[in-house]
Amino acid sequence: MFGVRLREAGWGYGFVAVPIAVFGLFFVYPFGYAVYISFFHWGILGKQSAGTGTFNYAKVLHDPVFHIALKNVAEYTIGVVPLTMGLGLSLALVINQKIRGRNFFRSAFYFPSIASSVAITTIALYIFNANGLFNHIIGSRTPWFQSASTVIWAIVGLNSWTSAGTAMLYYLAALQSIPTDVYEAAAVDNTGAWRTFWKITFPLLRPANFFILVVFGIGALKLFDQAFIVGGGSGGPNNSTQTPVLYIYREAFSNFDFGVAAAAGVIYFVIIFGLTVVQRLTIGRQDAY
Amino acid sequence: MLQTVATADPFIPRRARSEVVRKAFFYTVIALVAAIFFVPFIYTLTTSFKTLPDAANVTFLPHPWTTSAWHTIWSDYDFKTYIKNSVFLAVVITVCNLFLSGLGGYAFARLKFPGRELLFLLVLGTLMVPDQLRLIPVFVMLTNWHLVGNFNGYILINLVTATNLFFMRQYFLTIPKDFEEAAKLDGAGYFKTFWRVMLPLALPAISALVILQFQGTWNDFFWPLILFGQGNPSHYTIQLGLAELNFQYGVLWPEICAGSIIAILPILAIFVAFQRYFISGVVSAGVKG
Repeated sequence: MFGVRLREAGWGYGFVAVPIAVFGLFFVYPFGYAVYISFFHWGILGKQSAGTGTFNYAKVLHDPVFHIALKNVAEYTIGVVPLTMGLGLSLALVINQKIRGRNFFRSAFYFPSIASSVAITTIALYIFNANGLFNHIIGSRTPWFQSASTVIWAIVGLNSWTSAGTAMLYYLAALQSIPTDVYEAAAVDNTGAWRTFWKITFPLLRPANFFILVVFGIGALKLFDQAFIVGGGSGGPNNSTQTPVLYIYREAFSNFDFGVAAAAGVIYFVIIFGLTVVQRLTIGRQDAY
Repeated sequence: MLQTVATADPFIPRRARSEVVRKAFFYTVIALVAAIFFVPFIYTLTTSFKTLPDAANVTFLPHPWTTSAWHTIWSDYDFKTYIKNSVFLAVVITVCNLFLSGLGGYAFARLKFPGRELLFLLVLGTLMVPDQLRLIPVFVMLTNWHLVGNFNGYILINLVTATNLFFMRQYFLTIPKDFEEAAKLDGAGYFKTFWRVMLPLALPAISALVILQFQGTWNDFFWPLILFGQGNPSHYTIQLGLAELNFQYGVLWPEICAGSIIAILPILAIFVAFQRYFISGVVSAGVKG
């Protein structure tokens, strides 16, 4: 009996050995290693001097570019999350009707979510350039992705269009889990569609709203691919496509200052973690049901 | 019977007209929205068959039609190498993930060994470590091991993901134990039980994992950019090649459009063939989250 258990445990450890090694080596250990690196002058060739201290943190926290990056990503998140949720819910409500070809439309709306972000951004640069299709339609010559004042909002528009399909799928799942008898009751009372939505459907979507808010909020704070492509990797024009993740990337691979990059990574992790905790304590608590 | 009549009754007098209006409204809305989702892709496709001067005209049909942009990116800009690299990485990483997360997921779902719960907590904990935090330490580690600038480092850090392992474990938990007990009576060992009994039973989960992982690796931009994005184009993936084309030749619209189509097309093909796996994958992740 003991032998059988020992054998089972042995196989168990064997089966999880490689995954645990990968997770330990490339997730758990780097967590501590990032903190370690952040206390040194660390360049492309490694640790440069014995001096330790919080100078990298001071540099990041006093760097105006980092402040701009935080401001940009805050604007972006405040814009993109409600817009994605609104679009996603609207699409879900349309798709949830008994209409012909709903599977086709559902797939069509979802597809941009899984297509390459680099390609989607590239196409957007083409369609929204000063002489492009979009300006031709609306009769304008605004270089949406090249002007410092519009670029972050252009990315907001682009990414809410791209990820609305994912939000739609989450909302569809939530809508389909609402029992039909509440609608039957509303129908008996002759409640209009608009009123039914606000009085019955929307309150019942609260848990879904919270889930989607958290998922898309955290995703938005990690903005990188689109900002990188649009700004040519430089954060320009005039730091308008600078984001915290791009800042970390540029400190490491343009300025070759790994210490500062690691410190920025730790700071940004703390910020996101703090926001998540606050969110859980405020909005999350009411959704315990 | 009585109940059906009772609930349907209030509708009957009004249904005919309001239903028609409602249907017409929904089809109009959905057609407009669908146009917003289709037009950019169609426009990109037709532009890839335009000449460079013609690409400045906002017209849907090329005049004249030419495949010169496709020839150029295929031979001059080496997109065939990028495609080869992307396919290679996506296949290798998908196979590794399938095998390792299947094996690990099976052990966590079924085998008993001391510390199993603790190790599983570690697996889930990796989901909390964001890429921007582990970027610097992982890059430093891989540089020290001479795994930057080639594919080995990228494959190593992507051998298995916590999401996939968790997904497989959850699926294995839903399979009744009778199957394994039958295999055990036949004298099959743990690995043989996993390989011959459990894995074939998990085919729906495997399909979803394979499709989503292939898509994730194909679209990945961040880690390839960091690990082989600087310098040697012989290691570029399709996303890196497209970004480079964008930065270097930002006005060659036909070529850029052709490159974008190549970056999107394989995922579109897989999506059309296996869309229910994409959608079920997203929804199950959403419900669990």
